[in-house]
Amino acid sequence: MKYLAWTAAVLLTFMLQGRISILGISPNLTAVLAFYAGIRYGEVRGLLIGSVIGACEDSISLSLIGPNLLGKGMVGFFSSFFVSGGVFRWTPLLGMIAIAFLTTIDNSIVFLSKSIFDKMPSAPGSGLFIALMQSLLSAPAGIFIRPRHVD
Amino acid sequence: MPKKRTLLFFAVVIISFVLMTYQSKKGYIPSGNIFNVFLGGSQTIMQSVSDAFKRPFVRMALREEENVRLKRQIADLLQERGKFQEAILENKRLTELLKLGESSRNSVSSARIIGRDIVQWTHTLLLDKGQKDGVGKDMAAITPRGLAGKITNVSVSYSYLLLLTDINFAAAVRLQESRKEGILAGNGTRICGLKYIPYEEEVKPGDIVITSGLDLLFPAGIPVGYVSKVDNRGRGGNFQYIEVIPFQDDTKMEEVLIIR
Repeated sequence: MKYLAWTAAVLLTFMLQGRISILGISPNLTAVLAFYAGIRYGEVRGLLIGSVIGACEDSISLSLIGPNLLGKGMVGFFSSFFVSGGVFRWTPLLGMIAIAFLTTIDNSIVFLSKSIFDKMPSAPGSGLFIALMQSLLSAPAGIFIRPRHVD
Repeated sequence: MPKKRTLLFFAVVIISFVLMTYQSKKGYIPSGNIFNVFLGGSQTIMQSVSDAFKRPFVRMALREEENVRLKRQIADLLQERGKFQEAILENKRLTELLKLGESSRNSVSSARIIGRDIVQWTHTLLLDKGQKDGVGKDMAAITPRGLAGKITNVSVSYSYLLLLTDINFAAAVRLQESRKEGILAGNGTRICGLKYIPYEEEVKPGDIVITSGLDLLFPAGIPVGYVSKVDNRGRGGNFQYIEVIPFQDDTKMEEVLIIR
């Protein structure tokens, strides 16, 4: 049942991501999902779930497989590190900062990977703008995605 | 446990790099068709649902746009109609004035009112005709309705018309029916006063007042106004207190005929 829910969530995220657009920029909902996985299930599961989500995203894009796998994996892995209580104590503000930061990291990884192994997906300035906008769009989700120990 | 975690982390990193390196040399790995088929179908369904929701709003937006366009068109047409109506009215006024000029032997010139005195307490109008058109001081100005006033000040191209309602205006008049003479004087309001009518004279509201010509300023027989109120209970001193409303409302005047 859990796997089914995750599958549905991933597919819904893909569909929504393709349809929602604010100022011409789609939110990075898959990074949010990976962030959620990391926060709720720890770094190992976060890494795995994030990687699977990233791999699926890469497959759908019909281009280089790997950038999103690595990026989302990192988001899943480090999200737990950020707010698990080991280093930082979770607060809604920290949640926002963490998700914005990790979205930027994800975008940077994807941009750099594509630039190195394939071709540059956009001009660096435009890439930076997209990364920042996606971070801002993802940030509010950080308020609502809480670690289990806070619940 | 930390070892497993680190191992997994590096495993993911290494797998990613290996995959990407491989693809950069050998080309993309064919993948994602199943996902894409599923997502494509889902997107189609979502698009239909989204369109069904959007359609009424799109129609509303289109109607709104059409509404704005039609309103603008109506405003333009009204403006155009206003211009035509204005031309018709002007034509009517000028025709009347022309007839008046033809019927009047003393006609000097017709004049258009181009300004009102900026001082609130005087009742004068600025006319677009002056000495070069033959206009002179103390000439009378009339309209098809009746007496308008007299010329008080003349320059080469302009002249000032003192209206009946001004406190400095006075004209020799008579009551058309009883032929009794009096003086019509402005008092600064829309209503003028008829002076020097004795108590024994019967005057009733509605009586017409015309110029008598005895002041040598206004030709005799020009309609001036009608009696609106008569008070013979001593308010006027030795004479009756009579109020006269001029036929010509000075706020509605646009052209006048100047006569000598």
